[in-house]
Amino acid sequence: MERSDVRSLYLLGAFLACAYALPFLVGAWAGTVRADAAWLGILTTVVVSGVMQGGVYAMFAVGLTLIFGVMRIINAAHGEMVMMGAYLTWVSFFYLGVDPLLSLALTLPVAFLFGVAVQKLLLNAAVGAPELTGLLITFGLGLTMIYTVELIFTTDFRTIPYAPGTIQLTSTIAVGRNRMISFAMAVVISLAVYLFLKLTRLGKAVRATALNAEVAMVCGINVRRIYLITTGLAAALAVAGGALVSIQFGFNPETGVVYTLQAFAIVILGGRGNYVGALVGGLMLGVLENLVSLMIPNGTAMVELAAYGLMIFVLLIRPGGLMGVKEG
Amino acid sequence: MGPGADEIVLEARDLRKAFGGVRAVDGCSFVVPHGKISGLIGPNGSGKTTTFNLLTGLTTPDSGQVIYKKESLAGLKPYEIFRKGITRTFQITRIFRELTVLENMLSVTGLRVPDRVARERAAELIAFVNLGHLRAEYGGRLSYGQQKLLEFARALMTDPDLILLDEPAAGVNRTLLQQLLEHIHRLQEQGKTIVIVEHDMNVIMNHCDRIFVMDYGVKIAEGPPAEIQRDPRVLEAYFGRRRRPDDAGPTPGAPRMA
Amino acid sequence: MTWREHLRNLALVALCGFALALLPSALSVYLRSFMLFTMMYVVLALSWNIISGFTGYTSFGHVAFYGIGAYVCAILVADYGWFWLYTLAVGAGVAALVGIAIGYPVLRLKGPYFAIAMLGAAEGTRVVVAVWDSLTHGGLGISLPSAETSMETYYAMLALMLLTIAVAYAVGHSRFGVRLNAIREDEGAAEALGINATLYKLAAFVLSAVFPAVAGGIQAYKVLYIDPPSVFFVQITIAMALMSMLGGKGTVIGPILGAVLLYTAQELTWVNFPTAHLIAYGLFIVLVARFMPRGLVGFAIDQGWVRKGMVH
Repeated sequence: MERSDVRSLYLLGAFLACAYALPFLVGAWAGTVRADAAWLGILTTVVVSGVMQGGVYAMFAVGLTLIFGVMRIINAAHGEMVMMGAYLTWVSFFYLGVDPLLSLALTLPVAFLFGVAVQKLLLNAAVGAPELTGLLITFGLGLTMIYTVELIFTTDFRTIPYAPGTIQLTSTIAVGRNRMISFAMAVVISLAVYLFLKLTRLGKAVRATALNAEVAMVCGINVRRIYLITTGLAAALAVAGGALVSIQFGFNPETGVVYTLQAFAIVILGGRGNYVGALVGGLMLGVLENLVSLMIPNGTAMVELAAYGLMIFVLLIRPGGLMGVKEG
Repeated sequence: MGPGADEIVLEARDLRKAFGGVRAVDGCSFVVPHGKISGLIGPNGSGKTTTFNLLTGLTTPDSGQVIYKKESLAGLKPYEIFRKGITRTFQITRIFRELTVLENMLSVTGLRVPDRVARERAAELIAFVNLGHLRAEYGGRLSYGQQKLLEFARALMTDPDLILLDEPAAGVNRTLLQQLLEHIHRLQEQGKTIVIVEHDMNVIMNHCDRIFVMDYGVKIAEGPPAEIQRDPRVLEAYFGRRRRPDDAGPTPGAPRMA
Repeated sequence: MTWREHLRNLALVALCGFALALLPSALSVYLRSFMLFTMMYVVLALSWNIISGFTGYTSFGHVAFYGIGAYVCAILVADYGWFWLYTLAVGAGVAALVGIAIGYPVLRLKGPYFAIAMLGAAEGTRVVVAVWDSLTHGGLGISLPSAETSMETYYAMLALMLLTIAVAYAVGHSRFGVRLNAIREDEGAAEALGINATLYKLAAFVLSAVFPAVAGGIQAYKVLYIDPPSVFFVQITIAMALMSMLGGKGTVIGPILGAVLLYTAQELTWVNFPTAHLIAYGLFIVLVARFMPRGLVGFAIDQGWVRKGMVH
């Protein structure tokens, strides 16, 4: 790496350290931090919970990073895909009586095909075009999805009661059983996709196209097909993320909007097109959000700010994120 | 009074620039004489375009200096260097595709003349390169040769003293090339200094007063065309050395930095 | 373009302005509001076009300036008793300062990163406004005292629209505008031709920030109640972008056309199909972006009805 590249990486590291220290500092000043064993127990639980949440965030973000990396398209509808995943799971659970995790066997292929269709009909036109085209197309798509769902399901919040109760990890740390299962599934799926990208020919083709589409074409890779597969995969991952979210949190048609922004923050942090970066970024955001929520007064509003702040500062210090090239 | 003949107008002092592990320019020094046409040649990857980028501020050197008319150009941005009277064209034309030919010409700054005068000058230069009939056409719709002419004309809007041309002959047919070379000589007669990077040896040998040869990021030879043509170092750089059994030197066709 | 053509265009705009000025007394309150919002979107679209159409830096968070203008007006009028017209000037000033503060670091970013950063900036501004309740009343919003008859705001918006059109026209047909376009086309080459890109970008950005701020202020005074989600509404940025794209990004008449057409269509659809209209809107965005990225003016240029280029 060039010198300025290395320098920006150190700067980014320093910033991240400050970002994580900030909740503690503010908490100490505001009195929400206590230095006793009981509070430390709470802290540990919160961190563990953050990691688990981060695992699910990572699921949304990896799809987005693939689309952004391979095609330079900003998918403003990614959160809506997650939301659709939640609703699809809900429908399978309440109307078909299928276990949410098993329903993935149904919803993932459907999502994949949907992604392929979207790419073929809409997004192929946006590849290589100015970023506004992709942004508007996906934004319009997202809007259509929100309001179609709203028409069918109304704006009521839905939840899926699943795996209630908690699991004691250690004497002080207890985690919701549904959260634990979500995280485990997220790990399994992420690992599967990681192996796909790393070991299979198709996966390697996807990574090659993400690095440089023109060169990939010259090497005989059918770039058009890769685009279809990438969007299909991204849609499937988003829907999987939605399924995992649906068993933990309530959702309504508009919750996707926040997920999109969180996914963007993670993609920027981890580096455009970088799969592992998205995983790491997801975990980091999950933990940071939980720390902020715990220690900064007015925590819930501040949590949103955490994602935006993280995103903007990373963009200003090192647009390529942790694992990308300096300029992105 | 400006510099007279045989005076230095541009000096590169021990320029170095590395990209990662690749040393594109590795201690390059030369002095460009005023009012002459100089050529900068060398095999692919010898650092010619990077040198141009260093001279015009598009890239900042890791070390070394560029001195123009006795002033150091260190730390100046490209637009500041432009305003000092140095212009350049690019290896692959960088005209503004969605602007018309006239707009391309008028995008140039630093003229300090009223609008009407600027337009007259633009019209003159457009006529100079025979693009008058296309003045309202988008730059991107021009043929490659026409784009090269446009870029050439655009570079002359401010009446610069030093003109750097990066491969003006590449991809250009013979007739157009002749026109370009005539224009270049006319500019020299007006007292301008010109440096040309080229691969076309006919152009270099027949039209340059002085030639600098680069290889692996350094200047390996300089002199008038006749000397350069015979210089063994130059021949070796381009064609490699004849291999002998106990030779440890580079083989012809050995991979070079891209 | 010759001076005669400029004069002709100016006369046309003045004529429209005159007609619009005579209109409000003849219209119902509803139609007056409709006209006001149409004019507002013309202002927004033209402003967005300066930084995103001409200069090519697609801002996905421009609603931030609109919201800032709305809040400055609301706070000064409701909490400090200012006369509303003066607050507009303050709003413009604040927007300019914020524009410089945000623009200087963020304009260094390229294409998609700039768009995302601006989105983050807009959302961040919304959260800051929502949290800083000592100044902004937070999530409760601000209610403004009701005093106007919907005529004052109409004329204010009309004046703003004419001003914005004049500025956009001056920028678009000047060498300044040509240079902004050059930056969009190839920033490196533009710098090599003496254009101080940083300065030009910042100038364009600030210019594009002040008019939405004033529009936001007028709108706040009109609707008499604002809160963070209503004024920092991401769909306003989308509207700006879509209208410019529909009409023709990078031209002057394009955003005007796009704003008038789209806002009128939106109103008609909303009135006639209350539930489905948002779905229709979403689909419309998709179709326009997919099939008409160059917009109506782009189409007209391709057909030869309109001249190429802005400076002749």
